[in-house]
Amino acid sequence: MITAEQKPIDEIRGMIAPYKRILVLGCASCVAECAAGGEKETAMLASALRMAARMEKQEVEIEEKTIDRQCVNEFIVLLDDIIDKYDAILSLGCGAGVQAVGDMFPEIPIIPALNTEFLGETKSQGLWVENCLGCGDCMLYYFGGVCPLARCSKQLFNGPCGGSVNGKCEINPDLDCAWQLIIDRLSTFGALDRLEEVYPPKDWSKKQGSGPRKIIREDQQR
Amino acid sequence: MITEQQLTLALFYCQNVPKSGEEDRQALEEEFGKSIRLFPIPCSGRLDPVHLLKALERFADAAFIITCPEGACRYFEGNHRAKKRVERTKKILSDIGLEPERAGIIIGSKEAPKTLAEIAKEIFKKISQMGPSPALKQG
Repeated sequence: MITAEQKPIDEIRGMIAPYKRILVLGCASCVAECAAGGEKETAMLASALRMAARMEKQEVEIEEKTIDRQCVNEFIVLLDDIIDKYDAILSLGCGAGVQAVGDMFPEIPIIPALNTEFLGETKSQGLWVENCLGCGDCMLYYFGGVCPLARCSKQLFNGPCGGSVNGKCEINPDLDCAWQLIIDRLSTFGALDRLEEVYPPKDWSKKQGSGPRKIIREDQQR
Repeated sequence: MITEQQLTLALFYCQNVPKSGEEDRQALEEEFGKSIRLFPIPCSGRLDPVHLLKALERFADAAFIITCPEGACRYFEGNHRAKKRVERTKKILSDIGLEPERAGIIIGSKEAPKTLAEIAKEIFKKISQMGPSPALKQG
């Protein structure tokens, strides 16, 4: 899932200051799971902004709505009937959602309320951790399902570095040593021999070597 | 001094707070009239900042939650969660320039348990110092 955190309220208020009719737009997918931009967080932010405006005697209309996904046109078009009422959209979507909504309604300014962070996992309640860099060439098979790019502080493909203590990273002792995990997992599967190969440096051209990436699936297209 | 009759309190409370049954609730509402809006919840862990914020935005000069004593939550950690959520609400209020004291938590005492009515009166006394909320629509 894509994780995000809300921007400071002051920053948000600065960005919405020129506008009088604002739609606070939540997204019920990834950012709801990470408690940053779902229906509840959208209601909280809208409520806080309305109170702030009232205290400063500003004549502003702030309304809220949450759609299932801000990054999918089929859900964004549901705003068609209401969007003309607003002179700005404050989006609690991830960066992809903000841009998709902006592309659909290019005549209305769209403002991000979140800072999009990383591809992560909900480790436990209230804890999200980064475990995928979206490199475009997944090598989890070789590393027992633990990504050394995302989870090793040194991003070593041919680890371990030798610095970990009691299974913890020497750079950040709060972090499990990814290479300890890799070796433990591969030992469990009886597949330690996968580490006998020397892996070449990552080919980053598959990530952003040719500019923004695109996936085309003709079987999914009209 | 502004009296409790001029202020509105949104009071959320765990239904395990002493003397917080239906009759007690009705008696309190009769005594305070429109100045109190009572929200019994099965556990204070059900409380979310959005509840306090919506109350403060729409009608309340202050919004409080009453929880069971530390270590006495029937669901083990409801009151710990409520505490964190009130802290989060206070932070949001502070960020928008509203007194964070308008949101609060009263953690019950094991040694000297108080009833819902007693606690409500104590909260009114506390909030009467603050006066009407500037975040509410006037008139």
